[in-house]
Amino acid sequence: MSDLINLNFTVNGEKKHIKLDPSMTLLEILRNILKLTGTKEGCGKGECGSCTVLLNGKAVNACLVIASQLEEAEIITIEGLGKGEEIHPIQKAFIEEGAVQCGFCIPGMIMSAKALLDENPHPSEEEIKWGISGNLCRCTGYSKIVSAIEKAAKER
Amino acid sequence: MRVRRFSVIRIRSLEHLFDLAEKGMTNPYFLAGGTDLLIKIKDDLLIPPFTVLDISGLQELRSIHFEQDYVRIGSLVTHGEIEKHPELRLLFPSLTDACHGVGSPQIRNRATIGGNIGNASPAADSIPPLYVYGAELHLVNSKGERWVKIEDFFTGPGKTIRNPVEIIKEIRIPAEKRDYGTYLRLGQRKALAISKISLALAGKKKNGSMEDVKIALGAVGPTVIMAVETSLYLRGKELSSEVIKEAGNIIEKEAEPITDLRSSKEYRKKMCSTLLVKALTNWKQVA
Repeated sequence: MSDLINLNFTVNGEKKHIKLDPSMTLLEILRNILKLTGTKEGCGKGECGSCTVLLNGKAVNACLVIASQLEEAEIITIEGLGKGEEIHPIQKAFIEEGAVQCGFCIPGMIMSAKALLDENPHPSEEEIKWGISGNLCRCTGYSKIVSAIEKAAKER
Repeated sequence: MRVRRFSVIRIRSLEHLFDLAEKGMTNPYFLAGGTDLLIKIKDDLLIPPFTVLDISGLQELRSIHFEQDYVRIGSLVTHGEIEKHPELRLLFPSLTDACHGVGSPQIRNRATIGGNIGNASPAADSIPPLYVYGAELHLVNSKGERWVKIEDFFTGPGKTIRNPVEIIKEIRIPAEKRDYGTYLRLGQRKALAISKISLALAGKKKNGSMEDVKIALGAVGPTVIMAVETSLYLRGKELSSEVIKEAGNIIEKEAEPITDLRSSKEYRKKMCSTLLVKALTNWKQVA
């Protein structure tokens, strides 16, 4: 196996310097090393989107990125969206629209919504559906999630 | 999911890669976007010992250059970058459409065009458009370099003429403007589905007749194939309903798909025809 590598990267604005096995996934680093368990593991193979985080501003599956690819990376997880006690407007819209049932997919869903709205602040309904097409939800039937993202876009 | 630890080398430069190659390595695999390779590792499809060469940090393979005769796309350019590139859309709309439909936003943000080519799936979405636009691959290793036409690169499902430590450095496509280009695919659903069948088409017209129409089919054989007979039939003809219908019949005879877990041979043959009729009808409508 490989020697450990010294890795410098930023998570939710905090600089990290950690020695890691280069084959460790970003998901394992977040959950097991940094104890940021808001990012969920679903399939572990890029199909479900539960582990979606922002990597240099873009939505990615944390299960399909490894440590060796993270030098100088900037990562934002669900824990990094709010400011102190105040939750992010997208999180607020999800609560107000009742878009959360079991909640397991929601951190990933919200990170995909964040990436979408950062790039396209006023998406159409089709664009919202396409923007969250990499995130599976088995409870809501998606319509309230789409409404919540529409609401968040309107209130920006 | 418990992930087995494996050996990874971060490649700092092409020289670094060539030095390592000269020393020799056990079963090297390139890691570009990682969206295919990491799944193979998780599924235990790579037999240890193997070494993962992480080339994702090679900035020189990340750019797109527009030149007089060619557009050069670095092999680490992602599907998302291609999909959103306005100038590429003008020249190669079939490639734009294909990249737009790959995986999901998360996958498109990581998955690279070089990885899609190197992986050599007959169902890979970016490959049929590269056939119709006449793309060539720049392959480089410690011994030298070579240019290979895309249709000469693949030898079977997952198989290519590439040597293990030979890198796909860039893809160059003749910068030739066509009148129409499209990519149509059928999958179980729109997102995150492997294509059951796909069709790329690019064509030019002269004095109202089709002059040069290239058609490539994905997921119907061991590699992507060109529908040569159908192209020949279309040459010099106007885009009429009769011509479109006949072209659909010809491509159905020309395609020799297989039955696999995603679709039957009979379904694929019919759908080759359906997709071509749809593509030509769309062209007729915009023309």
